[in-house]
Amino acid sequence: MTAPEPSANILIVDDEEQIRRALNSIFTARKYGVRLAANGEEALNLAIARPPDLVILDLTMPGMNGLEVCRELRTWYSGPILILSVRGGETDKVAALDLGADDYLTKPFATNELLARVRALLRRAAMRVAPPPLIHAGELEINLAQRLVTCHGEPVSLTPTEYDILAYLVQNANCVVTTPMLLEQVWGADPGDDTQSLRSHIAHLRKKIEPEPRAPRYLITEPCIGFRFRLPEGESGE
Amino acid sequence: MSPRSHQFERYGLLIAFGCISAATLLFLPGRGYFGKGQWALLYLLIIGLVAGMSGARAALAAAVLAFLAWDFFFLPPYNTLWITDPKDWLALLVFLIVGVLIGVQTGRMRDRESQALARERETGLLNRLSTSLVSITGTLVMAETLFMEITQITRTREISLWLSDAAGGVALYYRKAMAECPPNPHAATIANWVFQQSKAVGLPPVPEFSAIHTEGWPVSVPHNSIVADVQHDDIYLPLQTTTHREGVLQIGACASGEFSAYEAQQLITSANLVAVFLERQRLQAAAGKAESLQEADRLKTTLVSSISHELKTPLAAITATVTNLLAEDVHWDVTQMADELRCIQTDLDRLHASIGALLDFARLEGANWQPQRDWYDWDDVLGVTLEKLRDVERARLTFSLPDDLPALYIDCQQMARALQHLLENAFIYAPGDTPIRLGGSSTARETRFWVEDSGPGVPPEERQLIFEKFYRGATAGASPAGTGLGLTIAAEIVRYHQGRLWVEEVHPHGARFVIALPQENSNGYETKPQRHEGTKAQRHNNS
Repeated sequence: MTAPEPSANILIVDDEEQIRRALNSIFTARKYGVRLAANGEEALNLAIARPPDLVILDLTMPGMNGLEVCRELRTWYSGPILILSVRGGETDKVAALDLGADDYLTKPFATNELLARVRALLRRAAMRVAPPPLIHAGELEINLAQRLVTCHGEPVSLTPTEYDILAYLVQNANCVVTTPMLLEQVWGADPGDDTQSLRSHIAHLRKKIEPEPRAPRYLITEPCIGFRFRLPEGESGE
Repeated sequence: MSPRSHQFERYGLLIAFGCISAATLLFLPGRGYFGKGQWALLYLLIIGLVAGMSGARAALAAAVLAFLAWDFFFLPPYNTLWITDPKDWLALLVFLIVGVLIGVQTGRMRDRESQALARERETGLLNRLSTSLVSITGTLVMAETLFMEITQITRTREISLWLSDAAGGVALYYRKAMAECPPNPHAATIANWVFQQSKAVGLPPVPEFSAIHTEGWPVSVPHNSIVADVQHDDIYLPLQTTTHREGVLQIGACASGEFSAYEAQQLITSANLVAVFLERQRLQAAAGKAESLQEADRLKTTLVSSISHELKTPLAAITATVTNLLAEDVHWDVTQMADELRCIQTDLDRLHASIGALLDFARLEGANWQPQRDWYDWDDVLGVTLEKLRDVERARLTFSLPDDLPALYIDCQQMARALQHLLENAFIYAPGDTPIRLGGSSTARETRFWVEDSGPGVPPEERQLIFEKFYRGATAGASPAGTGLGLTIAAEIVRYHQGRLWVEEVHPHGARFVIALPQENSNGYETKPQRHEGTKAQRHNNS
């Protein structure tokens, strides 16, 4: 289990006391610093006073709701934002991701899933500063410096586009990558709406790197949103 | 009766006179050549002709006129009614009798024939009208049919159908008129009066010796008793059954004259049929509403009892476990606590699944849900679904899916839920660690996916029932977890995608649930040529 960032500071924004209590308990037990806010205004004040390393934001709040808080935060805050949504709140989820949220979690969630997402987001933030050259994911090894991918030690032949897609997803392992984000990253500014082509590439990638291509384990589609590269807990990038 | 024969009858006497005169003028020049008797025969011919054209009364007149003409012009002495030969008296008498008999009998036959024809047409009208009213399901179509039939049999040129409105009166529902018919400005007033009073307006008087029975006729008043100084030829008939007033039927002849009593009879009969039709419509609507209210009620009751059961059971278990753990009279060590907490976790999973299913069900029943479709592969659906499985469950799955399955235009999230329900079903009913096989195939018309287990299978009599709401299998044994909604929801989701879901038998035992999606939802995969000269990273490397 990767060690948590001991000094990571998390701001939790939720109008429901039970959720605040539960999240507080989860994170303080693992030595994270936790601050709690019960509404949007309080959250923004706390964030401005001392910028957190990560924000957990509930979407369904009365008054100033999660989307507005997200929009406000993103005018100056560049750290990761994880939103909590409810079942059936797909449009809000997509809206939040469009406004700059980094990932989402649907209530009710299991603790390990929450921690996995938080760790992934914090790791990604750290990696932006110092990207590691080598990433392990199950049987895969991705050498970013040399643009090489091996599976079970055997080299895997990928087209340049396939490599770019895989590299980007892996660098954001366990975080959601929206389709526009992926298109923009891989094809540059003004990528157009070429989602069919993207899907085709993903299908080819699955064939090459998934142990069971028809039942993907790593390259997961997030419906209506994008994709996520699932790194099982215990794997890491060094 | 047809207008022409109607004319002939009206002018019968004139025709009789005309024919006899014409015949006489024709015969006169030949007076010298034939014996006096032959003219009688010729006159009898004319009488028969008149009888055929204009009926018995005209024939009678023709017989008398012929008798006089024969006497006057053809029996010596000519040009007087006096006859010299006494034998001619007998001839004259016989001629008169025969002429009258022929005329009257032929005329009667003609009358009866034309009456029979009229009866036939009337019956035909009623037959067609009642047949179409039995099969027609819309009031508008009924009104159109009525207009079509009535204008063929009577001199009707316009009809207006007034139906009861919310304010206790009638409002115009339908009006159709031939081109030259202006609307009657007083129609609404009169129609409302007719509706309130259940009386007719404008029915023609019935001649004394006519064959028309007026027992069924509504009481009728003239137009100007309702709206002063207005006289019109429209007929207004109340449409009512024994229990209910449905509306008013207004029929106009426009410029084609007044309705005869005969036509009025047909109009009244048609109006009665229309009233019955309207009553049927009303009763059918009421019955339909009552039925759907009943169904909604039944569903609500079942839903409430299902919710109550499905949520109370795990909650009860959790409460018991938690209070047990907190009890002061037992000491729990860490391992035992962990075990108990794991049980709570299982119950919570069940609670979560049940609530999810009930919410899905409520949303689907609300019919507000529209699938959010996009292009996906079945791999995407599997990825989403399998993520939620525990490792032990996932380990039981085997896959046999061909490489060339087409892309699908579906709501990925919902399809994943449908697949999840099928898998949950398989896990519940197929024991232990028997494998569960996921397969797929595609043809030109549709793409299929299936989930196959080696459990007890579904008996033939239950293969439709299992998709019913709240149905739990009869072979369930110990009551399995679940709301009984999983398969219903899966079927509904597949149905929203214009697909089908069914269950098949597997040998030696087991069930295969098959989802079939029509090929319009799919597309062959085409790798589009790249739009740019390589990806951003490549361009960066190359520069």
